[in-house]
Amino acid sequence: MSNTDQATLAASQSERPPFYRDATIVKWLAQVAALALVVFGLVFFTTQALDNLDRQGIEIRYDFLSIGLGSDLREGIDTDPDTAGRALWVGAVNTIRIAVGGIVAATILGVLVGVGRLSSNWIVSRMCSVYIETLRNIPLLVQIIFIWALVATLPNVELDQGPINGLLHLSSKGVSVPRLHIDDGFYQWLIFLLAGWLAGSYVKRRRERLHDATGRDTYPVLSFLAVLAVFGAVGWVAHPIFGWVGAIFDFIGDGFSSLTPIIVQVVLSLAALAAAAWWIRRFLARLRTPAGLMKLTDDDKFRIIFAGVGALAVIAFVLVGWPGLSSWIINSGTDLLGVIADKFGDGRTGRPIDVKAPDVVQVGNFPNPGPAGLNLTQGGTAVFFGVVLYTASFIAEIVRGGILAVPKGQTEAAQAVGLRRVTMLRRVILPQAFRVILPPLGNQYLNLTKNTSLAIAVGYSDFVQVGQIVYNQTGKSLEVISLWMLFYLACSLTISVIVNFFNVRMRIVER
Amino acid sequence: MTSTMGDPAATPAATADLWAQEREPAQKPEEPSLSAGEWLGRNLFSSPVNSLLTVVFTLLVLLAGRGLLNFTFSEERVWRAVKTNMRFLFTHAYPQEQYARVWFCVGAVAVLSGLSIGLLAKTGRGISMKKLSMNLMAAGGAIAVGILLREPSATVDSEGLVVHREPGTALDDSFAGWIDANSLALLGLLLAANVALAVWFRYQGVYLRGGPEPRTAHGVLVLASAAVLIVQQYGEGEIVRESFGSAMADRAWWWLAAALLGAAGGALWFGLGDARRRNTFVPAMYVFFGAGALMVLSAWVYPWGHYAFLEGEFISEPGSTVAMTTKLPWTVMLVLLVASFEAGRALRATPAGRRLRVPLNLLWVLAPFVLYWAVLRDPDLDWDHVLSTDIPMALFFAAFGGLAVWFLAHPRIGEVGRVIAVALVGVAVLNWVAAFFGWYPMLQKARISFLLLAVVALLAHNFAGDRTHRMRLVVAWVAIMAVFHWLVTLVNSPSTVDTPTDALFGGFATTLTVATFTLLLAFPMGVLLALARTSKLPIFRVLATAYIEVFRGVPLITLLFFFVLIFNLFLPGGMSLTDIAGATIGFALFSAAYLAENIRGGLQAVRRGQYEASDAVGFSTVQRTLFIVLPQALRVSIPPLVGQVIATFKETSLLAVAGMFDFLRIADKVISAQSEFLGVKREGLLFVSFIYWIFAYNMSKHSQRIEKRLGVGER
Repeated sequence: MSNTDQATLAASQSERPPFYRDATIVKWLAQVAALALVVFGLVFFTTQALDNLDRQGIEIRYDFLSIGLGSDLREGIDTDPDTAGRALWVGAVNTIRIAVGGIVAATILGVLVGVGRLSSNWIVSRMCSVYIETLRNIPLLVQIIFIWALVATLPNVELDQGPINGLLHLSSKGVSVPRLHIDDGFYQWLIFLLAGWLAGSYVKRRRERLHDATGRDTYPVLSFLAVLAVFGAVGWVAHPIFGWVGAIFDFIGDGFSSLTPIIVQVVLSLAALAAAAWWIRRFLARLRTPAGLMKLTDDDKFRIIFAGVGALAVIAFVLVGWPGLSSWIINSGTDLLGVIADKFGDGRTGRPIDVKAPDVVQVGNFPNPGPAGLNLTQGGTAVFFGVVLYTASFIAEIVRGGILAVPKGQTEAAQAVGLRRVTMLRRVILPQAFRVILPPLGNQYLNLTKNTSLAIAVGYSDFVQVGQIVYNQTGKSLEVISLWMLFYLACSLTISVIVNFFNVRMRIVER
Repeated sequence: MTSTMGDPAATPAATADLWAQEREPAQKPEEPSLSAGEWLGRNLFSSPVNSLLTVVFTLLVLLAGRGLLNFTFSEERVWRAVKTNMRFLFTHAYPQEQYARVWFCVGAVAVLSGLSIGLLAKTGRGISMKKLSMNLMAAGGAIAVGILLREPSATVDSEGLVVHREPGTALDDSFAGWIDANSLALLGLLLAANVALAVWFRYQGVYLRGGPEPRTAHGVLVLASAAVLIVQQYGEGEIVRESFGSAMADRAWWWLAAALLGAAGGALWFGLGDARRRNTFVPAMYVFFGAGALMVLSAWVYPWGHYAFLEGEFISEPGSTVAMTTKLPWTVMLVLLVASFEAGRALRATPAGRRLRVPLNLLWVLAPFVLYWAVLRDPDLDWDHVLSTDIPMALFFAAFGGLAVWFLAHPRIGEVGRVIAVALVGVAVLNWVAAFFGWYPMLQKARISFLLLAVVALLAHNFAGDRTHRMRLVVAWVAIMAVFHWLVTLVNSPSTVDTPTDALFGGFATTLTVATFTLLLAFPMGVLLALARTSKLPIFRVLATAYIEVFRGVPLITLLFFFVLIFNLFLPGGMSLTDIAGATIGFALFSAAYLAENIRGGLQAVRRGQYEASDAVGFSTVQRTLFIVLPQALRVSIPPLVGQVIATFKETSLLAVAGMFDFLRIADKVISAQSEFLGVKREGLLFVSFIYWIFAYNMSKHSQRIEKRLGVGER
């Protein structure tokens, strides 16, 4: 290459490219164009929908939630709800109930099957593989409908009938088992438990310190549980002495109801600003090095701007978008405090927790949770066993993969230091396997929760099915869809937060 | 829980099992072949806990198998309902006189599959003769056990009515009756004996010695339990059963099948003689073809019966051979599959075969569109319009665009090319703005073609190359235009196929169609979303993240309701989506979010050095993404992508809830409402589960093979 060539090259490199080839400009142009396209699309579809609805004389309003619902629900905490909103609440509780119960049951079954698949016993591992390969390759909906059809062939309801008389009833109507019942005085007892928790934690920390200092076995967890048990036992009889706690909540409730909307609006706005400021400060602090602040990339600037814009958007929403929000907060907050005050109120002297044996599964109606035990209708049985059996097959695979992922050296090292087999599993293999298992396990919990929405196929009154009833009766399609999305997004977020919490706790601590 | 935790004796075996998958050496050492007794001792009766697990689980297997067999072959099962509705289940209301089209589609898929497998598939070693003969013998044995386990039929009197037992006549007048009456006690006794034996052997140290006593003693007790379970069936219930002898004689066909399979396996085993020859391998496809040939042959020979539901008429002729309408086409399909497979194998090593690979893959992408719109819909083309407008327009875009691509892909085009490309983008955008405000009329097809051209023009400089290279680009562009215009013309032409429902067809055909189009739509979306989510550009990233998180957090069924029932509200007046189109969009948007997460995993697995190397050789972002990053990322994410394909396939069952006549809905609601088969539901559901299972299971096995071959996670 000659000198002149190098000179031109240098010159061409030093001079700015034309604007349409400037990387920064093109990048931002493309992004803004994409954003504009998305915004345009959303606006276009929304205006179309509003026009179309306008032509049909329909408005988007949520007041149908307080209008009566013409039909009963099959099961739930209230089978004859007064309003559509109450009905949706019943549906939400049903969904949560199936999801939580399903998660627990699916985890237990999945872990058993997953460990069984690794068994050295040929027939056990084969059976577990057959279970997994069969159930996870058949669509859940088919399984749910099939279980429903199977339950339909069980014998009809008769009095005092069931495999274990008085404890388990099985019929074409569904399943009924005993259940624990939160009775009067539970909340006062909860205060005792809380005190026990605090005292126990203190004892546990002391025992741990003693163990660190002397190396003796001090059983910190056991002492914690013992302290908790003592408090619980004392509280079981002594809980009425906390009857005065309700008055505190009454007092707070009075104070809350005397707030004015303006104050709430200002507080919310300030909170949004403070949150944004705190986030930006933390963000900048992370970029600060001993040599001063690092150079901010476009991305960093965007994040800062995004935080600020987010706070402003919240303020705009509170002040302009939905001015009624503040009074809603005041009203429902007062209601909530009233309910809590009542729960903690005086005169609740019964046993905190009671066991209810199931009555016979009654013809026609399922009282739930009445005085009878835990009842699942035909649809509920189908959904519950469907999601549990299906999800367990996925969890089993995850568990197997997690155990296989622990390096062999860990087992060998544990054996070399002379750990017993159980100790090795508990202290070495399972904690490491758990770290691999947890994230996909969280995904399965999320899927399980979402899959309970298939209840609509068998008529279990979950959130989606109740939503469909509401939507059929009121015609409020968009509103119901938006509630569905909000509800399930909230569920997903909750599960993610919980799983993430454990994920962070399980993480390897690095220096 | 299992023996891996409980007993020290099982430790070496258990750990070997645990780590076997992790360190698979390149060349597996020859497995030492154990005698049957040693195998039993090592795998089933190696310790007290292990023995008891074996006993309990064997009983469970027998009970479950017996329940399944009794359910499937019970006289109460109306399998006629499924057989009669077979056509209905697979295509719903597609007219029978047009059925040749359906067979054409199946044939096209058969030819494509045969060619692809023959030409492209990595076949591996195939199946060893040893494994084949063992599997044959095992199948024969399983059928024999099944025959024994199955409940005997009820005795019928001369009028064909089930004979009930006289009240008062005890069951225990026979040996079977006595066993039946005391079965629980007997089983309990045998179980207790097993426990006692296990404890006794444990304290005698027999397990540690590894002698043959445990497996013999436990095995005899297990067999005794099995015998109790089998005999119990023959004395059960209030209904008078056939005698043991007549029940066995009734199943002559099954005995024959078991004997044939067992004999074939045995002949293979002993015919091959020594171990070395038993380790010869047959290609897996030939085994598959052999099984297919047997099935097709059975349609010609065995009286499966002729069942059909045609124009509201039930035809039910048990005992005759299958109708011509299915046995002849299936024979043709098998011949096509074998012939194309052989053709593919013959072409494999030739240059022509290598040249065929890319077109073959493109045909797979194209096939769903062509088969659906051109073959199954049988569109009624308006030839005047085609000749006057469609063809000239296609020619114009092909020529104009071809020239533009030829010009813009020149390596030395420089700034001029970019200005031209931007000008084309301007025209394309202007066309759409004009469409929005109604400035000037233009066919939508032309607008889309312009947009395609603009995108290609913007990207053209990334594909710059020599003359042959550019020629290839031009040919690709012309082909795209031809296919695109042809398809749009087809889509816009009305269908001549007359069905009583809105949809062209239903049943399993819908399941497959929706799944295919969903994946074709979702895959590009997923790639783009994954790229956007991992991009350094904040707005792209935020938009993609929001999309993915929202769509992953919401149940699919609500999305389907939205797109099937409500989405038409969001469209301008006069426009509407059919149910199937709406559902496909809903599925696609949902799957795209999941696919994006899978691909993102792959993108994160591409190492930094790859990016830096492509920057160092001066690649543009597009080139780096297309030629360096995506190929590696997609390769890594093949297993999860196949997993997502299976998930999408299974999710199509939700069409039933959204109100379409898919496979599941027909089995669940339609058949059970027919006057002949009122309330017959479980048979159809079991059949549907079986079909779904076959497809999903094979896909997941295939994905496991790919995973092993790619060695993902081992490097």
